[in-house]
Amino acid sequence: MIEQAPLLRVQNVTRLYGGRVGCRDTSFNLWPGEVLGVVGESGSGKTTLLRSLAGFEPPDEGTIHFRRGEKDHDIYALDEANRRAMMRTEWGMVHQNPRDGLRLDVSAGGNIGESLMARGDRHYGKMRARVTDWLQRVEIDSSRIDDSPKSFSGGMQQRLQIARVLVAEPRLVFMDEPTGGLDVSVQARLLDLLRVLVRDLHLAAIIVTHDLAVARLLTDRLIVMKDGHIIEEGLTDQILDDPHHAYTQLLTSAVLSA
Amino acid sequence: MTTMLEARSLRKTFTLHNQNGVVLNVLDHVDLDLAAGEMVILKGPSGAGKSTLLRILYGNYKPVAGAVRLRHDGEMVDIVGARTSRVLDIRRRTLSFVSQFLRVIPRVSTLDIVKDPMLARGVGDAEATERAAAMLTRLNLPKQMWGLAPATFSGGEQQRVNIARSFVDPTPVLLLDEPTASLDPINRDIVVELIEATRKAGSAMVGIFHDDAVSSRIATRVMQLSSRKAA
Repeated sequence: MIEQAPLLRVQNVTRLYGGRVGCRDTSFNLWPGEVLGVVGESGSGKTTLLRSLAGFEPPDEGTIHFRRGEKDHDIYALDEANRRAMMRTEWGMVHQNPRDGLRLDVSAGGNIGESLMARGDRHYGKMRARVTDWLQRVEIDSSRIDDSPKSFSGGMQQRLQIARVLVAEPRLVFMDEPTGGLDVSVQARLLDLLRVLVRDLHLAAIIVTHDLAVARLLTDRLIVMKDGHIIEEGLTDQILDDPHHAYTQLLTSAVLSA
Repeated sequence: MTTMLEARSLRKTFTLHNQNGVVLNVLDHVDLDLAAGEMVILKGPSGAGKSTLLRILYGNYKPVAGAVRLRHDGEMVDIVGARTSRVLDIRRRTLSFVSQFLRVIPRVSTLDIVKDPMLARGVGDAEATERAAAMLTRLNLPKQMWGLAPATFSGGEQQRVNIARSFVDPTPVLLLDEPTASLDPINRDIVVELIEATRKAGSAMVGIFHDDAVSSRIATRVMQLSSRKAA
């Protein structure tokens, strides 16, 4: 096996709100094709960390390096325009609430097409074909291509958001509670879809969730956060089946089955 | 004989932080050597740490001390300290764990479950389909079931889907945690024959079998674990 360089290097990242809530002195690496889960209770700093990693909020301290080509880029040392370009072409963010990731006044097809245009595609016929293909991949009937996402159910909106992100062929995807707010049967369908897409596209992903069953199904490696700190880290099934830290033991024993 | 796995000085304790910090000493100074074509059966009373040892060998439990080295791509790799991606690569191509339980994923068909490990190893779709079909047939799972997700299957049927998945393209090292428990005699004999054939073809195995008739038939060696020591 060829040893690759990490895709993302997170070093001593601290980001606090009002000196209290947030993440503190967080360090880890993510390798190409790896799916990392971040678990912990609400307020443990998961979403804050994700937003810093994804380029939305500069950390108070620490650095985040993203590897493009043969070079590591400190993403917050880049100027705004370059960082935006990187966010558009190299990674994508799936928000918990699909309305935060979609443009509701644009048609379903338009939402996917915009991502293609943002990375420079201009050929209308080819774009239309790709949009149709992606609607099918996320199991949305292609007859809905010109409909507004406002007319979609929550589960469909979430699948549309995923298509909008993945059509741009990012190397890294950030997901914040991608199945939160969906009812259980819709969750199962979305999870299976994500599992297949992540595997087939060989994506690297960081998935924030408080649902340990979601973590087990989708992730290779797990980070457990408490009070802004990483308290335990390792292979997902090892962390869930043989948790060492008191808090992780509490977390895994608090669910009926995971 | 080629050494496939060697465990050295394994020690395992569980600290139950939320139950007054009770410490359970489960394994202490356990060594194990396993060569290609061997079937080592773990014996010992309930609580002696048989399943714990098996899970440590798989990288699922983390030992407090000791090493587990596996032959992977021709070299011995310590699975205990290996990076996640390395462990996953070892599990994809070298090491598998077979329990009596199938982890059912919603919406994934029986045929796809059985094909999946082969596809992950780069076997072509047509060949994977053909081999999966042959294995499901051998394990008496009727063709009408192949397109269905096993969520609605009986326990014994799910168990045979799991065995089909593990033995259709067996890895060089297999860890078996009672794969024949609760099967009817006909299917149990089929599975026992499958295990025997796989071992004779060169796979190395460590297993837990509570059925003495089964274990005496398939064992090449027995390893005795003593009961749990007080903390």
